[in-house]
Amino acid sequence: MQTLLQFTIDVLSLGGAYALMALGLVIVYGILKLVNFAYGELIMVAGYGLFLMNGSGLPWLVMAAVAVLIAVVTGVLTEYAAFRPVRAKSVTAVLITSFAFSTILQNAALLFISPRPRNVPLPDLFSQTVAFGGILIPARNLITIVASIGLLLLFAFLMKRTVLGIAMRAAATQFRMARMLGVPANLIISTAFAISGFFAGVVSLLWIGRIGSVTPGVGLEPLLVAFIATVIGGMRSLQGAVLGGFLLAFINTALNYLLTQDLLQFRDAFTFTLVILILLWRPEGLIRGPATGQRT
Amino acid sequence: MKPGNILTLVILLGLVALLVLVPQLVGSRVVERIATALAISLVLVVGLQTFTGNSGILSFAHVGFMGIGAYASAVLTIPVQMRGMALPDLYGVLAQIQVTPLVGIALGGVVAALVAALVAYPLMRLSDAPAVITSFALLVVIYTVLQHWSAVTNGPRTLFGLPKATTLPLTAAIASVVIVVALAFKESRTGLLLRASRDDERAAAALGAGIPALRWRAFILSALIAGIGGALWGHFVTSFSPKAFYLKETFVILGMLVIGGMNTVTGAVIGAFLISLLFEGLRALETALNASGVFANQVVGVTEIVLALAMMAVMFLQPGGLFAATEIGPLILRRFTRRAPP
Amino acid sequence: MLEVSDLKVSYGAINAVRGVSLRLSEGELVTLLGANGAGKSSTLLAIAGALKSSGTVRLDGTDVSGWSPERIVRQGVAMVPETRDVFPDLTVAENLLLGAYARRRDRDGVAEDRQRMFALFPRLQERQEQAAGTLSGGEQQMLVIARALMSRPRLLLLDEPSLGLAPTVVDQIFAMIAELKRQRLTILLVEQNASKALALADRAYVLRLGKVAAEGRAAEIAAASDLEHLYLGG
Ligand SMILES: Nc1ncnc2c1ncn2[C@@H]1O[C@H](COP(=O)(O)OP(=O)(O)OP(=O)(O)O)[C@@H](O)[C@H]1O
Ligand SMILES: [Mg+2]
Repeated sequence: MQTLLQFTIDVLSLGGAYALMALGLVIVYGILKLVNFAYGELIMVAGYGLFLMNGSGLPWLVMAAVAVLIAVVTGVLTEYAAFRPVRAKSVTAVLITSFAFSTILQNAALLFISPRPRNVPLPDLFSQTVAFGGILIPARNLITIVASIGLLLLFAFLMKRTVLGIAMRAAATQFRMARMLGVPANLIISTAFAISGFFAGVVSLLWIGRIGSVTPGVGLEPLLVAFIATVIGGMRSLQGAVLGGFLLAFINTALNYLLTQDLLQFRDAFTFTLVILILLWRPEGLIRGPATGQRT
Repeated sequence: MKPGNILTLVILLGLVALLVLVPQLVGSRVVERIATALAISLVLVVGLQTFTGNSGILSFAHVGFMGIGAYASAVLTIPVQMRGMALPDLYGVLAQIQVTPLVGIALGGVVAALVAALVAYPLMRLSDAPAVITSFALLVVIYTVLQHWSAVTNGPRTLFGLPKATTLPLTAAIASVVIVVALAFKESRTGLLLRASRDDERAAAALGAGIPALRWRAFILSALIAGIGGALWGHFVTSFSPKAFYLKETFVILGMLVIGGMNTVTGAVIGAFLISLLFEGLRALETALNASGVFANQVVGVTEIVLALAMMAVMFLQPGGLFAATEIGPLILRRFTRRAPP
Repeated sequence: MLEVSDLKVSYGAINAVRGVSLRLSEGELVTLLGANGAGKSSTLLAIAGALKSSGTVRLDGTDVSGWSPERIVRQGVAMVPETRDVFPDLTVAENLLLGAYARRRDRDGVAEDRQRMFALFPRLQERQEQAAGTLSGGEQQMLVIARALMSRPRLLLLDEPSLGLAPTVVDQIFAMIAELKRQRLTILLVEQNASKALALADRAYVLRLGKVAAEGRAAEIAAASDLEHLYLGG
């Protein structure tokens, strides 16, 4: 019973973070058909933002908000600087551009900051535990669950109930038609990158909250998680990304419980095998989503 | 064979021959090392082109297969008396077998191809973004396995003791064969159908092309070449760790291919030449900067930044790369015939 | 109202539209005829700003050539593309709402127009909350036309509104076009169903291989003996 509770909380807290990671990636993919390799670096810049504010004496929540803002601004600027010039070219060209841009940001961090981990300021709450139902739960896990579920609900509401949200969903399937109804392409794309940056920023707080420090390569694991989650969930649907995130968290947590220490090192390989099996069964992912239209 | 293709072959093989001749003439060990490294890059980049160029799917897993080839050959060629030290936990049978480096290199390719055949079959049904993403995940998985399978790879630590066997003539010979194979594969029935599927998946399927099976063949060929390239590299540097087969190397190989032009073998070859030479220059610059002490810290990562900027510039100016669609042979012939009076 | 001169569109090496000139006056219904591949859809898309083109497009004297589609909508042009392009995973109501994107702040007006559309197409009202992708072909066509009208356009570009529809539905659609004409909306109509279109139109242009091959009053074009010849592109 206690194990089950522990397991559920582990899955929910990991899954919440995974779902946000996946959503931030797929929101841009939906609009531009761009697999944004530089997404992990949005998480990185927010982390370094926190690091640079270390010792500034600001309240932590203010630092956190600034860090998220840095990710949002970087997301939008990336689009202007790197993607807008090649947007009309082939999907592959944009993908390669994002890969190159990711390398630039990582190496810039390497060059100007350091290859070594840098500690970020975290509130005490992140290292406390809560006793609940006979088990000890790290408070940051509960924070992650509350924050991610709250954000997912808010996001779903905005996408359903605001004109901009509806326009974003429309543009994900029929971009040109949306434009012919007066929906401005640039607004939609910038919004997508801003949302992506926002999720990356929040993920950064939650993720770096777990590990406590930031390195140039810190974004790789979240990027990979987002990749796998969106592929198994279905790249064409936002719900798919969320589902994929929770499913991947379930698989990873289950493997954590089941595998022996020796085998745990190869967890990624086991996860990947399961992913392959899911894709054998459903090549388009669990949630299909509508056929996507053109992008311009 | 069409005259255009013959010309392409002559030019590309001529470039490889030049690669062997120049160090001879200069008589410098350093130049020879650079030329050998370049020839290895040629093998790897052209190998990647056989899959990515024909199927249109970027594969990030290539360097993973390079690693498999390198480790497979290492396990089979490190002298048995040294093996106890380098890989103390190696499984019984493997610990006793020793083959010559040449056989090791070939087997490196075979092992990589076998692994590719096994894991990639289900992935070949995917197209577009999911295909790229899963290839990236595959790279990460191969890397994780190399890093943790201590019995065979010595874990994240450096593996020592490979016999030095990679010479410039050997590498150049293999690179030449690989170029011939890549051109032949491109013109083969499989290659033609694959390229048709690249442009229009549905139409090609209607022609009766089983696209996943076609891609699978190309992927296995590509992994075979990657494994050979990796083993060559292993016997060139003689000691390495799994880190060598990860994102940095992937970025370089992919950069060479997309700058040259992934749809053509010419592009792969030219890309490998250009970027290798650019890198040598930049590396010299980085060393000089570090030696001069202008910067307080070690200057790292400048090479990558420059390559990334070059990639972005090419994507912006000519998204298909320098040789976007046509091999150099037909390109020259066309220019020549156009200039000729009617 | 609309003045197009020397419009050219090409897709790579294919020159789809090769110097088309058209003019529409206020309240006029003009039909654009031509064989498959004559360049009708390309012309309409270029006017709507959705395709790169050369030549000039003027709306009420303003040169709008090269403007983005979103900017052209705000000048009062609405487009019903041949491919329909409903937003499949949005509900019918959401599709209509986006039709009014350019005037989304006028909430009362938008709500009022929505009721007007539901009066015009009762079927859409019944299916308000249904995903548009699940509608039948005819219902989708009604939705796209209604969606276009939600922007209160001054110029409506209709590309083959009767394509693939059952005869009774086709009649409904044409009745509706007649009604819009009565309300003095300016319409540029592309149709394969030439006799129906000519019966309704004031004037007509016939395109052939990307050029205007004939133009005139609808009745004259209908009477012209070589219409079939022009039409079939022979
Ligand atoms: N996206 C495209 N890419 C390449 N060629 C295109 C494209 N769209 C149209 N064409 C070509 O442009 C020409 C004109 O096409 P268009 O769709 O304007 O014709 P149309 O008159 O509307 O024909 P239909 O009656 O069949 O709808 C055709 O030859 C077509 O093949
Ligand atoms: Mg048409």
